[in-house]
Amino acid sequence: MSEVQRRKYSQEERTSIFDGEFMPHIDSMYNFAFRLTFDEDDAKDLVQDTYMKAFRFINSFEQGTNAKAWLFRILKNSFINDYRKKTKQPATVDYQEVETFYNSDDVDYQSTTDLRAESVRDMLGDEISNALNSLDVDFRTAIILADLEGFTYEEMAKILDIPIGTVRSRLHRARNLLKEKLKGYAQSMGYNTEEEEE
Amino acid sequence: MQCSDVSKCYELLERILDGELGDEGRDILKEKLEKCQPCFEHVHLQQAIREVLKTKCPKQPLPETLEESIRKMIQNAR
Ligand SMILES: [Zn+2]
Repeated sequence: MSEVQRRKYSQEERTSIFDGEFMPHIDSMYNFAFRLTFDEDDAKDLVQDTYMKAFRFINSFEQGTNAKAWLFRILKNSFINDYRKKTKQPATVDYQEVETFYNSDDVDYQSTTDLRAESVRDMLGDEISNALNSLDVDFRTAIILADLEGFTYEEMAKILDIPIGTVRSRLHRARNLLKEKLKGYAQSMGYNTEEEEE
Repeated sequence: MQCSDVSKCYELLERILDGELGDEGRDILKEKLEKCQPCFEHVHLQQAIREVLKTKCPKQPLPETLEESIRKMIQNAR
């Protein structure tokens, strides 16, 4: 968002953009905020802040571009800048460090049993949700944006301010980690996992 | 038969499932599904995971007052 605000939209236009293009995403925004903060009040504050900023900087929004991606980017930045600092959650590992760590190939082949698609389909929503929530925030965010919200890699790159190549690798790591979590649930709940056959 | 480096395939297949490779991706996917068992299984597992994420993940209900309070805030800011 640029500091210099050109006068671009009239009062009526601003109202119509805000009501017509921003407000319809409030559900997705709140769910995203909740999955970042795990707290109803914090999620509420985060969404309010985001809408306030969206209104203040509305002139830097180009009509006809993806309003949802624009809003998600503001929310993500607010979370990092204003919110992450004041939470009691343990300090998260630095992005780069995490990516380098998981960039070893052995994460693909940690175990000899594999998770079956049918076992995944039999799982409860809460189990899926817990597995997702247990991922580090950066990996969790990647899955939320891609799979829950359906953003493209290009949109994700803009929302997260990272190159597309990083989106691709982060998402792949995130999916591997999620799969491992689900496999853990499947095993502990006695769902069918299959010994690898040779 | 199976691909020589399935971990490379997996990343590619995920990109295809994400729709990032367009028509070209569809052809690659078809070929891998026909020829390679690990790829076949990976695709089915990934599709199942996406499906349950989309359909089963519980949605957090929007707090009743949130929309109202945002509108008030904007009104005051005008
Ligand atoms: Zn293969």
